[in-house]
Amino acid sequence: MKSTRSTFLIASLTLAIAQAHHSFEAEFDIKKPVALHGIVTQMEWINPHAWIHIDVKGDDGKVVSWMVETGSPNILLRRGFTKKSLEPGTEIIVQGYRAKNGQNKANGGKVTFKDGRSLFLGGSNPDDPDKNRTGSR
Amino acid sequence: MKSELLAVVIICAAANPLPAQTAWKTPKTPWGDPDLQGVWPSSSMLMTPLERDPKLGARNVLTDQEYRVKAMMSKVIKNGLEGATPSPRVNIGAGWADYGVPDRQASLVIDPPDGRIPPLTPEAQQREALRLSHYKVKHNAPDTWEDLTMWERCISLGVVGSVLPLVYNHGNQIVQSPGYVVFRNEMVHEARIIPVNGAKHIAPAIRQYMGDSIGHWEGSTLVVETTNFNGKAVIGMGGGFEGAGTLPTESLQITERFNRTDERTIAYRATIEDPNTWTKPWTIEFPLRKDDSYNTLYEYACHEGNIFMYDVLSGARAQEKPDEGAAAK
Repeated sequence: MKSTRSTFLIASLTLAIAQAHHSFEAEFDIKKPVALHGIVTQMEWINPHAWIHIDVKGDDGKVVSWMVETGSPNILLRRGFTKKSLEPGTEIIVQGYRAKNGQNKANGGKVTFKDGRSLFLGGSNPDDPDKNRTGSR
Repeated sequence: MKSELLAVVIICAAANPLPAQTAWKTPKTPWGDPDLQGVWPSSSMLMTPLERDPKLGARNVLTDQEYRVKAMMSKVIKNGLEGATPSPRVNIGAGWADYGVPDRQASLVIDPPDGRIPPLTPEAQQREALRLSHYKVKHNAPDTWEDLTMWERCISLGVVGSVLPLVYNHGNQIVQSPGYVVFRNEMVHEARIIPVNGAKHIAPAIRQYMGDSIGHWEGSTLVVETTNFNGKAVIGMGGGFEGAGTLPTESLQITERFNRTDERTIAYRATIEDPNTWTKPWTIEFPLRKDDSYNTLYEYACHEGNIFMYDVLSGARAQEKPDEGAAAK
């Protein structure tokens, strides 16, 4: 019961926070989810949204650079997120949706660290990529 | 579950309606004006809609049960974004929303008494229907940046939209000097320098997104009258995002009242009047409350990294191309 209610409410919220400066649907393709396993090269603290740059190694060994959108740097900072919070060299897995223009950009839905800890990345995607997750993780 | 309910009880206990105005004596600046200075975020109103649920009628204060639901929603949302498990790193999801203790107020609109924005004039209905039909088709596949809202374009949310609580950047700051009051809004980086020295409005031919504001004191209340609008900033939540709000005309006039009701609260009121758009004036009111965790405004140089603009226009062009894979089959 709690799980159902929480999932519903969180889904409602993510719809609400889709009002984060711009429309998710305008920029990203809900039909193109991506899971990116890569190494952080830079976190770009720019308005209206900060961007995480990661290098992703493909099956062929070729490294491709991606950009992942996050929330506003003002609030990241207000919540205690600093330039040291996601340093270059950090290995992460990002789940999100690819940009409609086909470039290597994604709206971040969730970040998982190498040790298994997971974080919401926020993102303006209208769903929770991990709807089965509730409570502790 | 118990801890969740306990948190709701605590939140309920912490939420206060606007305190009685008679118990408070507004401090003075060294030059004798009422002192409204400080940082006054609107975060506590994040969960309060602009218009009231029609089921509530003229009642603008939630019952205990209604408030418990609102507080529970707020808590679940906050936990959903931040994650329920403490982490050595701050959760990035927290970067998408400000939070505050929810308020018992049911709607931001207080007049008309039913909390509903008055009907549009027949002319405005036609005008807005045309604008919104275009927006509906184009906002997710724009032909030009002009198909996008003033917020997405990083231009302005206007006088009212800059103060309304909207997901994030709820910070407002008041700074005073002899003869002037500065009202600064974090969202889209606005700062109005408001004369309170008897100055007159600028020439009617000059039209601006934020209009032209002139203030005066009525007792300890700052009254600000703003005219000279250009009619390009939507009145409503999010500067027209997702079709919200109404585009006024240059006839728009907004009268704001800033009444400091205690050490940590300003009752903010704005009456919106445009006879070319609404059939009668309407008024919003809500508290701007000091928040020890929100005592600094940061610069929001919105256009700095508005990568969205490039992405959405190039994305729309990419979507227009025929599916090369399908064509090859």
